[in-house]
Amino acid sequence: MKHYIYISLLFICISINAQVNVRTKIKDVDSTFLPKLTGDFFYEGKMYIGEQYYNKDWMTGDILLSTGAMVYDKSLKYNGLFDELIWLNGTNFTKIKIDKPIVSEFWLKNDPYSIIHFKQINLSEPGNVKQKDVFAELRVEGSFSLFVQRKISIIGTQLDYINNVVCQYDVITATPIYYIKLPSNQYLKLNKLRRRSFLKFFPDKKKNITKIIRTNNLDVSEESDFVRLIELMNNDKTL
Amino acid sequence: MSLLKRIFFLILVQQVALMYCDIKAQTKRKEIAYLQTDRIAYVAGESIFYKLYVLDEVTQKRSELSKVGYIVLRSANSDPSLKIRVKIDAGTGNGSFVLPDTLMSGAYEIVAFTSTMKNCGEECFFHKQITIANRFDNALDFKLVESVPKDSDLLYHLQPNLDFKIKTDKAVYGIREKVDVNLGTFNSKANVSVSVFEESKIPSTDKSIVETLKNGVDAKNIQRKLIYHSPETKGKILRAYVIDAKTQKTIKDVIVLLSCIDTIPNLQYAVTNSNGLFQMLLSDYYDGKELFLTIKDAPEDQNWQIRLEDEFAQSEKWHPKLISNNGNYKEFIVKSQNIVYINKSYQLNKSANEKSITDNTSICPQFYHCKTATILPSDFVPLNDFSEIAVELLPQVKIFKEKGKYDVQIYNPLMKRFSAITPAVFLDGVYVDDIDKIIGLGSDQIKKIDIIDNERAFGDLIFSGVISIISKSNEIASTKPASCSFRLKNDSINVGSGVVTIDSEYIQNKNIPVFKQLLYWNANLELNATDETHFEFYTSDNAANFTIRVEGVSENGTAISASSNFQVNNSINVIGK
Repeated sequence: MKHYIYISLLFICISINAQVNVRTKIKDVDSTFLPKLTGDFFYEGKMYIGEQYYNKDWMTGDILLSTGAMVYDKSLKYNGLFDELIWLNGTNFTKIKIDKPIVSEFWLKNDPYSIIHFKQINLSEPGNVKQKDVFAELRVEGSFSLFVQRKISIIGTQLDYINNVVCQYDVITATPIYYIKLPSNQYLKLNKLRRRSFLKFFPDKKKNITKIIRTNNLDVSEESDFVRLIELMNNDKTL
Repeated sequence: MSLLKRIFFLILVQQVALMYCDIKAQTKRKEIAYLQTDRIAYVAGESIFYKLYVLDEVTQKRSELSKVGYIVLRSANSDPSLKIRVKIDAGTGNGSFVLPDTLMSGAYEIVAFTSTMKNCGEECFFHKQITIANRFDNALDFKLVESVPKDSDLLYHLQPNLDFKIKTDKAVYGIREKVDVNLGTFNSKANVSVSVFEESKIPSTDKSIVETLKNGVDAKNIQRKLIYHSPETKGKILRAYVIDAKTQKTIKDVIVLLSCIDTIPNLQYAVTNSNGLFQMLLSDYYDGKELFLTIKDAPEDQNWQIRLEDEFAQSEKWHPKLISNNGNYKEFIVKSQNIVYINKSYQLNKSANEKSITDNTSICPQFYHCKTATILPSDFVPLNDFSEIAVELLPQVKIFKEKGKYDVQIYNPLMKRFSAITPAVFLDGVYVDDIDKIIGLGSDQIKKIDIIDNERAFGDLIFSGVISIISKSNEIASTKPASCSFRLKNDSINVGSGVVTIDSEYIQNKNIPVFKQLLYWNANLELNATDETHFEFYTSDNAANFTIRVEGVSENGTAISASSNFQVNNSINVIGK
């Protein structure tokens, strides 16, 4: 009998606690305090061969708006083909292309330990009237920052038969572009990861960088090694 | 088995402890307000300088929770004479307000509170009694509030820091002489407000911050309110209800839209809860602006209305104990009236409100952040009304009349048809609930038209597109609001000079009479453990006894209250004017 009383007491406590926590949570995320996302409807009318999104499945993400406000826990996808952030509105299940000027940064959360951080970077050249703002994944932040634009490009077309009708599809593939942000806020662009083209950017520091590559046995053409190289460059005081 | 029992017991204890802590935290999370004013007696037309402290009841440190404070000045019959909203930053806020010349002579009460304090009832609010005399009141037969025996030494006997003393370089000063005050050092960093004012024998129930914190609020008397008020951690929260005017029942799940006049279409929305209540966060952007509230898609056969909750409302009446014989204080009041008369004549009150301009760098809640197709009607042949403009200049917009009412549709280029969903129509930045309001506008009235023909999302709301009209002369202001709409002027945050002192320019000019009952006011003076804190000011031509009063709170939550007196000698007698 004593055990039954203990067990019932435990369950009562757990359920009351759970309700209290839920109530507190609701207060914290009261819609009164949350800014609203704005954007156009996004229609996926055209079919492609290949994946147009960087993250195939919807991922929970947070957005830092250009106003300084944060929007939390939205279902997001990054579309590399159009360089747009797509939001799945859970209330009416519509896909919204969030107005690009309002997004400053966003974080896609795979799990608490794997967060993909994107920032909107301005690549306009001085004197160029046309603004070129792109979303790029921030891989390394420091004196030398490394951004990767997860670009998806059309590389060709392919004909396919659907119900005996010939359809032409664009073939798309990932063509990442790497941007190294210098301490002078200038961006260096690398379309492909090549050791020689990378070293060309740093003629004065070529020896030191080569030394880092050799010492750590890095293959610059691999993205993970390239990320490691930029991290080591940030730690090297001679650079 | 015994190990299992122990684990089980530990889990049980933990759950009970968690529950207890949560309940304790919720009941204890309260704020205390304390308001220091520069004086306790005023003449209508003068400014009241104040500093509002919002403290955590448990730690007694400055509260980081509320960012908005409310001050209400009410007369002896409990009618509010002034309502002021104060910006609270790190538990303090200061400013000044001018007492209207039309105030009747008598006892007044200042009530100060935050939104969180409303959850504990009005007993938790800060109350302070002051006396205001009308400048043109010669009879002076008003009643004053009955006070505890007022003795300046008795009032400040509760000093928690006996080593904190106010030292002046002299005890007696001449007119227009510099006074140097040394507050010494304090054992931790502290923020205090200082007032140097003429002593009066006017009765008062004024309490120091030490007394206020010591007495606190009797928890037994607190009646918890059923309606919860969210803490205003980011700004003012507008609270209102949607009700059916016929049945007086509240309506749930109704979308209410808010916008205000601007060159950019702006919107905010909220949905009513089961009590018909909706709340909207009003950022600094809305300060001093006219707010346009409207119910989205309100049924025409229903008479739904928006009923606003007054954030300053006081349900409890003030019942002051008044004394009818004020003969002993008439001399001081007459002197105050004369000083105000002199200062008004010589326009010596410039310093009071000169810093009332705020930098409004707040961000507009824009309806869209994308490119639009812009049409300037002035570039084309003049057209009589908006339906003509739509036909001639806006191919993507279709205006049609149905059952005597105009309606609008936008052509969706992706769907290749006119969308059945209505577009969002804005006039001068304000969401328009009825297209009839813009139909009469022709090329003469319209400055610019922005169109978005894509289906748009604003949070959870969906629109087929956007039509934004900017008129040449704010046409929205003259449109008739629908019955389901509500317009109100949002108050501005009260600001004012944090430092008041007599300008040395006046002191040097012997031809100007400088009579002041407030010699110095500083709302934010920092004390620290290493350096002594000094401040200085000039005496005026007013010969009287003056009090230096310091109130504040240190970083570690220690309340500071102290006072000191000095005398000013003068040969001119104001009463004999």
